[in-house]
Amino acid sequence: MPELEITLTVNGRAVRWRLEPGETLLEALHAHHLKGTKLICGTGDCCGCGVILNGNSINACCMLAAQAEDGDLLTVEGLAQNGKLHPIQEAFAQEGAAQCGYCTPGFIMRTYAFLQEHPHPNEADARAALAGNICRCTGYVKPVAAVLRAAELMQEQ
Amino acid sequence: MLKIAAYHKPSTLVEAAALLAEEGRTIIAGGTDLLVNPRYMVGVREVVDIRKLGLNYIRAENGWLHIGAGATMRTVAQQATLQRLANGILARGAAVCGSPNIRNMATLVGNVSSALPSADTPPALLALNAEVVLVGTHGERVVPLDNFFVGPAKSVRERELISELRIPLAEDDDLQGGFYKIGRTAEDISMVNAATTLKIRDDTIAMARLVLGAVAPVPLRILRAEEALAGQPATEETFQRVAEIVRDEVRPITDHRATAAYRRKMSAVAAVRALRQAAGLAPHGEEWRHA
Repeated sequence: MPELEITLTVNGRAVRWRLEPGETLLEALHAHHLKGTKLICGTGDCCGCGVILNGNSINACCMLAAQAEDGDLLTVEGLAQNGKLHPIQEAFAQEGAAQCGYCTPGFIMRTYAFLQEHPHPNEADARAALAGNICRCTGYVKPVAAVLRAAELMQEQ
Repeated sequence: MLKIAAYHKPSTLVEAAALLAEEGRTIIAGGTDLLVNPRYMVGVREVVDIRKLGLNYIRAENGWLHIGAGATMRTVAQQATLQRLANGILARGAAVCGSPNIRNMATLVGNVSSALPSADTPPALLALNAEVVLVGTHGERVVPLDNFFVGPAKSVRERELISELRIPLAEDDDLQGGFYKIGRTAEDISMVNAATTLKIRDDTIAMARLVLGAVAPVPLRILRAEEALAGQPATEETFQRVAEIVRDEVRPITDHRATAAYRRKMSAVAAVRALRQAAGLAPHGEEWRHA
């Protein structure tokens, strides 16, 4: 396989990745030891592999890594700063909004993108924002509560 | 991982058209169909990324609204002109296509290009009389969307890319629209969807277009229904008569989403609900609020 090389910013750091042309963004993240972003359905249906690319929440399983060239990528590993959890992570922990936890990074990244645009959401907004994120253990009441709490925590900061 | 030998990223339309002229190459933009459905990768060895061609625009010019191949479902759902045009039917179709993450990636042109009968936006585009601009090594040709779809995942597109869709705006002032999707949830692929545009003058329907999705091999204009609407009062009685025609005209299949019999019944329901919105007999949704 001929390789190609791209540069991009991942969690604030400029990086250079060597890729195979058919590699997905999710596969490239895993290959570069960023394993917080999870593969669940692999078909764009569950948003478990949600990341933020250039400010938009997207699914890393259904884009080629090569398409992220020159992009600004934020993954769940990039949220905590100096050993301190991001308020969204804090809110998910406080509300117990995870059971097995596998879908949680996707929920958290979707919440991040949503709260950037809607800092004062109501419950209906929060539900609509998470409508594509699928959890098969605990359900959605606690994640929705976590989004609303995260909004409050971010407000206080 | 896609089994491909090369990834091309042309920076001009001419370059893109030249790359696509060769067998074994296909287009990638949003990637949400290509990367998840093996049907699009049959015989494909290389992909051509068309996202660096400067086609992310949605702009009004000389009475047309031009929607470039890079415009995502989300930008379509949030575009002000499209939220007004015919009660926002296209913005609403885009707003219920997939999940928020998918709408940030998937493009409107990709939805047309994939040519699936269950797609959320072709009914609205057909109701709005859209045209498709195809670019190949021959240059550019314009095809009315009415003549674009041929069958499931089949269209008249040859080794070409759709550079943009365009929608006539000149008459939008008195164009009323309706859109209704029946899916398991709003995020799911439609079991049935319907879009309509009407021109109503003095309580009489002067022009009607009615399009049903997911009930035939292609997004289906119900021409007999359109004829039956023209010249009639925009009332519930008229729409109920049209419902009968819709039930007769659709050609649904049974699949894992719904049975043919259910789709046939729901076709009439979706059509009437869309028509009521266009006639002002029912409120139309603003699905873009959550897009």
